[in-house]
This record gives sequence, C-alpha cells and structure tokens, in this order.
Amino acid sequence: MDPPPPEPVSYICGDCGMENTLKPGDVIQCRECGYRILYKKRTRRIVQYEAR
Amino acid sequence: MEGKSYQRFPKVKIREMKDDYLKFELRDTDASMANALRRIMIAEVPTIAIDLVEIEVNSSVLNDEFIAHRLGLIPLTSDRAMSMRFSRDCDACDGDGQCEFCSVEFTLRCRCIEDRTLDVTSKDLVTPDHTVVPVDFSDSAGNESNENRGVIIVKLRRGQELRLRAIARKGIGKDHAKWSPAATVSFMYEPDIRINEELMETLTLEEKRSWVESSPTRVFELDPETHQVCVYDAEAYTYDDEVIKKAEAMGKPGLVDITAKEDSFIFTVETTGAVKASQLVIHAIEILKQKLDAVRLSDDTVEADDQFGELGAHLRGG
Repeated sequence: MDPPPPEPVSYICGDCGMENTLKPGDVIQCRECGYRILYKKRTRRIVQYEAR
Repeated sequence: MEGKSYQRFPKVKIREMKDDYLKFELRDTDASMANALRRIMIAEVPTIAIDLVEIEVNSSVLNDEFIAHRLGLIPLTSDRAMSMRFSRDCDACDGDGQCEFCSVEFTLRCRCIEDRTLDVTSKDLVTPDHTVVPVDFSDSAGNESNENRGVIIVKLRRGQELRLRAIARKGIGKDHAKWSPAATVSFMYEPDIRINEELMETLTLEEKRSWVESSPTRVFELDPETHQVCVYDAEAYTYDDEVIKKAEAMGKPGLVDITAKEDSFIFTVETTGAVKASQLVIHAIEILKQKLDAVRLSDDTVEADDQFGELGAHLRGG
C-alpha cells in the first residue's frame, strides 16, 4: 500500500507576506522575494481547550 | 458531667446587605463552625463558569489558550447552579453542551472591520439560556455614562477575527478558583474591651489623650466634657496590643483588658456577582448541613463509637 501523495502546504513569507505552496524536498524560499523565513498557516480545524 | 449536651443554637444577625456584600454577626457557636462556613463559601458553593472552549478562528494578538483561560474567569450568573448537575454525574448527556441539566453553550463571533480598536467583551458572548449570562457590573459601578461594556476578553485591530464556541459547566472553587463565588470571606472575633475605670482615673488628661491616640485604629475616645475614656468602636480593634503596650510603658499595666469573645464572630462576605452574597451564605449553610448528614448517615458511623455517638447525639439535638 502506497502512502498518500504528499499534499502541498501553503506558507506565508516573513518578508513580503506572499503565499507560497511548498512540497516535501522544496527549497524553503519565497518565490517572490527570495526571503528564507516562511510561516506555516493556522489550522482550519476547530481546536479545543480547557478553560483552566 | 454526665449526659452533657453540646447542642447550641447559633444566631445570625445581619448588619448590612447589598447584592455583592454582606456583613453579619454569628453568635453562640465556636470557631470550628465559623471557619467551616467560611471555607465552604470560598471553595464549595457551586457556580457556573466556562470550562471548555472550541476556537474556530483566532487572528487576535492573544493565543488560543490565553483566551480560553480568560473566558474561564468571567463570572456568570449562577442562581441555577445549586439545582444543576455536575457534568460528570449527568447521565442525560455526554457532557458535550446542549444539555439543560449540566451545561450552557456560548458562542462568540467578532471581527474588526473599522480602523479603530474593537473591544471584545463578556457582552459579546451569546447564549440561548438567559438564566446564565455574564455578570453585569454596570449597576454596581453606578455610572452608565462611560458605557460599561463588560469584561474585556481581547482587543482586535482591523482585519482580526475571533470565532469560538464555549461550554459553561457547574463546578466548585475546590476544583478551580474560577468557580469560587467568593471574592473575600473573612470573620473576626468580637472583642470584649474592659477599661479599668479606677486605674484610668489616676491618669492625667494629657496621659489619657496620648493613650487613646496610641491605638492605630480609632477604638477609644476621650469625652471632651467629662474627660472620661470610653470605647468608641470596639470592632475597630485589630488585636494589635498597642494600647496594652502603651499602658505598660506608662507604668499602668492592667489599664485595659481586651479579650476575644470565643463564641461571637463578625463575618464580611463579598461575592464576584455570580450569586448574591445573601444567597452565598444560605447555600453554604445548606452544604454544611449536607456534609454533616453524610457523616451521620454513613455506615462507618458506628453508633457505639464514643466519638461518633457524641456527634450523633449532637446532630439529633440531644
């Protein structure tokens, strides 16, 4: 059984704010400005916390 | 003494009563009872507070767990709490909100679309159940003018959004302080102040004045006409011993004798607004009675056991 194909994940550039989609093995670099710090986006899922 | 009864009939006299403040006297009982009552008011009278938070969107500057914690601390009107179920003992539901016996659901949807800061407050929490709502402090503050909007949860700038669902549950202060209905509960022993009038008359007016002024709180006063020292406010005495030390320093030991009445207490109760102060005391007494019943009715309470036998007799009123 093959593992499911890796999904591209989108990141936000730390410099220009451009959205980048990256696949495993890609160079971590903004396609627009070349900045090398990318931020992962928040999950779209609901997250649960105990209010304590 | 044989067949001695320890039964007493405590008396309560209310001095001052506001929604969130109560001052009363408790007489003809002992410190164990007064302290039990105080501890129950703080830690065992149930209230309702947000206990579970499901965050959908949060682009505010505060992180999710920070907001969840803040939501938990918001006081909610809890008059229904005494008749509600703890969600762990509720068999009518799976403890997932939407159960009228044990939980209340809140939703919050806020998004800032303007160029100025938007305050997200407890008033933005929406619930279908109007008996459990965030406590409204606007009345007790007394000024409607500055637009009291409740407890601020977070502030949003343009484009930021907060969307969540929260489940409030019944709980007690022993589990988490957010469930404590008490802001402060304290009691003091009523002081019994006796001035030795004979010795007092050996003092000069100037000595009397300096002795009266040696008390850090205004307990005594000097009558301007008769030049007699009398008690102005016995309860202002903080058991600081200053006047006793002063009397000794003046070479008049025994000028005043101050003792604490072991069976009289003055309680001050302040609540968070979750329940009225008067209700808090009534509920606390109710819970104390339940606890004593549990001891009396326990299978381990052997009637023949000396210790429990005496307690049983006490509880039965004999």
